[in-house]
Amino acid sequence: MTEAVLALPAQKPAVDRERLTAFGFALPSFLILAGIFALPLLLLLGVSVIGPDGLTFANYRRLLGTPYYLGVIWNSLRLGLLTTIITLAISYPAAFALARARGAVRSLLLATLFLPLAASVIVKAFAWTILLRSDGVVNQTLMAFGIIEDPIRMIFTETALIVGTANIFLPFMILPIYAVVAQLDPRLSEAAATLGASPLVTFFGVIVPMTLPGIIAGVALVFSLSVSAYVVPTLLIGERYPTLATTIAKAYLLAREPGFGAAAGVVLLIIAIVVVALSTRLGREQAAR
Amino acid sequence: MTDAGLPHLIVRNVSKRFGATTVLDRIDLTIRRGELVTLLGPSGCGKTTLLRAIAGLAQPDQGHVELAGRDITLVPPHRRNVGVVFQSYALFPHLTVAGNVAFGLKVRGRGKAEIEATVERALSLVKLEHLAKRRISALSGGQQQRVALARAIAVEPDVLLFDEALSALDRKLREEMQVELRRLLQNVGATAIFVTHDQDEALTMSDRVAVMNKGRIEQLAEPRELYSRPASLFALNFVGLSTRIAGTVVGSQDGKVEVDTRVGRLSAMGNFVAGSPVVVAARPEHLRPGAVMDANSVAGRVRSVVFQGSRTLVDVDAGAGESLLAELSGRDAAMPRVDQEIRLTWPVSETFAFPAEARA
Repeated sequence: MTEAVLALPAQKPAVDRERLTAFGFALPSFLILAGIFALPLLLLLGVSVIGPDGLTFANYRRLLGTPYYLGVIWNSLRLGLLTTIITLAISYPAAFALARARGAVRSLLLATLFLPLAASVIVKAFAWTILLRSDGVVNQTLMAFGIIEDPIRMIFTETALIVGTANIFLPFMILPIYAVVAQLDPRLSEAAATLGASPLVTFFGVIVPMTLPGIIAGVALVFSLSVSAYVVPTLLIGERYPTLATTIAKAYLLAREPGFGAAAGVVLLIIAIVVVALSTRLGREQAAR
Repeated sequence: MTDAGLPHLIVRNVSKRFGATTVLDRIDLTIRRGELVTLLGPSGCGKTTLLRAIAGLAQPDQGHVELAGRDITLVPPHRRNVGVVFQSYALFPHLTVAGNVAFGLKVRGRGKAEIEATVERALSLVKLEHLAKRRISALSGGQQQRVALARAIAVEPDVLLFDEALSALDRKLREEMQVELRRLLQNVGATAIFVTHDQDEALTMSDRVAVMNKGRIEQLAEPRELYSRPASLFALNFVGLSTRIAGTVVGSQDGKVEVDTRVGRLSAMGNFVAGSPVVVAARPEHLRPGAVMDANSVAGRVRSVVFQGSRTLVDVDAGAGESLLAELSGRDAAMPRVDQEIRLTWPVSETFAFPAEARA
């Protein structure tokens, strides 16, 4: 690197020094990130492919070749996708409401959004088990109003899982979208209208493309959080809905199969990276049109 | 343009209130086809609200707006066929220059070939055809202004509305754009309304100027008439410089009044009963050194002399808190000096009396 920099033609020394300085400033954080993130991931990858007899792909064959584990991967994907779609559907209008709100109302809304972040995920997931169990608030309310006669089974269903996950990760979708929506110039909608665009055309032709960066950030955040969620599925649905995250935990803690756990971890990581990379690229293409 | 000169945009008895504030107070305004009209006034006078009411971006509480023979009072903005150039330009940052100009044509469902041809024509009108593929963020303020104009012109709107469209440009560029924009709009035969607080812009660009104050149009006149025959003290103050002296009417005859002021008796054009408090005013170019028979004349001490190239402004302290402002051209032989005693004279026919209580 240094050699390459020094070997550049001498006509532009100012630029070279600038680059070198920038590189120098970036180096410490680069090293820290490499030590904290890249190295453990490399180790994880190593553990997943090294067996007692050297290099092996047995862990991956087991994970990707067994119907049960394919189901586990599907469960994780399903959890991630459904949570992302539901939070997006709620967050988009919510972000606009938040951006339009003024004064005390806005402070109140932001507080209700931020405060739950201070509570542990375990507390929130446990709160949902209390709400949703057969003698919980939801069932009792429905029965009190005579809407149902007997308690509905809510806890330990996929619906409960998705509702809980969506609720807990909602701020991570609302906040990035809100950040973009708050910057949106209201004159842009007016300009579109005076140019002949109906509200619907303005929405899809101007508002959505302009808020896409926020949507992408939110989707990337919520998908990677929910696809790898461990506490919420464990408390809200348990053994009935094994995910990659619970499988990893089981492999390490119960089965003592670090190689298999590592392989599941790598698969989870790849899923998250692919989705984040795809959505980022989609956003770039949209922006470049 | 066979129907040029016919009433094209008619605003009838339009009022608008925000809470307890009356922003538009029974506005009537008729604009002919192909006419360039400026709404001129200080901030808060209602000029932008009137423009927004015409564009459909603000709903009047009462009154009607007619455009090209159609009552559009209740028509939403996207069906009005108006073009708006905003102060912030409001260009779509996710689209290219050409994409911005094409936007209005695309939502109208025009064909691809027609869109391309129209975009090219609109961009060449504002001399930006070479930047069609650029991103908006890569343009200067002046270039963005032209894109906004091209975008508004491309859809051939019935009226073009400019909301302080030039005020974000620096002075030199703004003055160039004023002349260029007027020529361009006349070439395409556009009917346009400018909203501005800049009197030079109003006088340069428009066929007629509407001076607005507190939600009302105080005067609607051609620039030259507005300057030489302001209808109110407010219009006089807002456009150009003037000498203003307060006083009381002591006599009136044949459309002229005699006014007692703290610097002596002055004559002015106007109809007032004796005892009315008035302000007597004259434009600075009518004030000359010296004394003439049957003319107004006041003496004083020169307070400042400001050289401005083709003209020199002389500010004279007439005592009793009154001052005189004279504009002398370079040919006026002896330029007065500061602290010099001087007598200034101006014709009665260029002196006007306004009701004093209308002072803005």
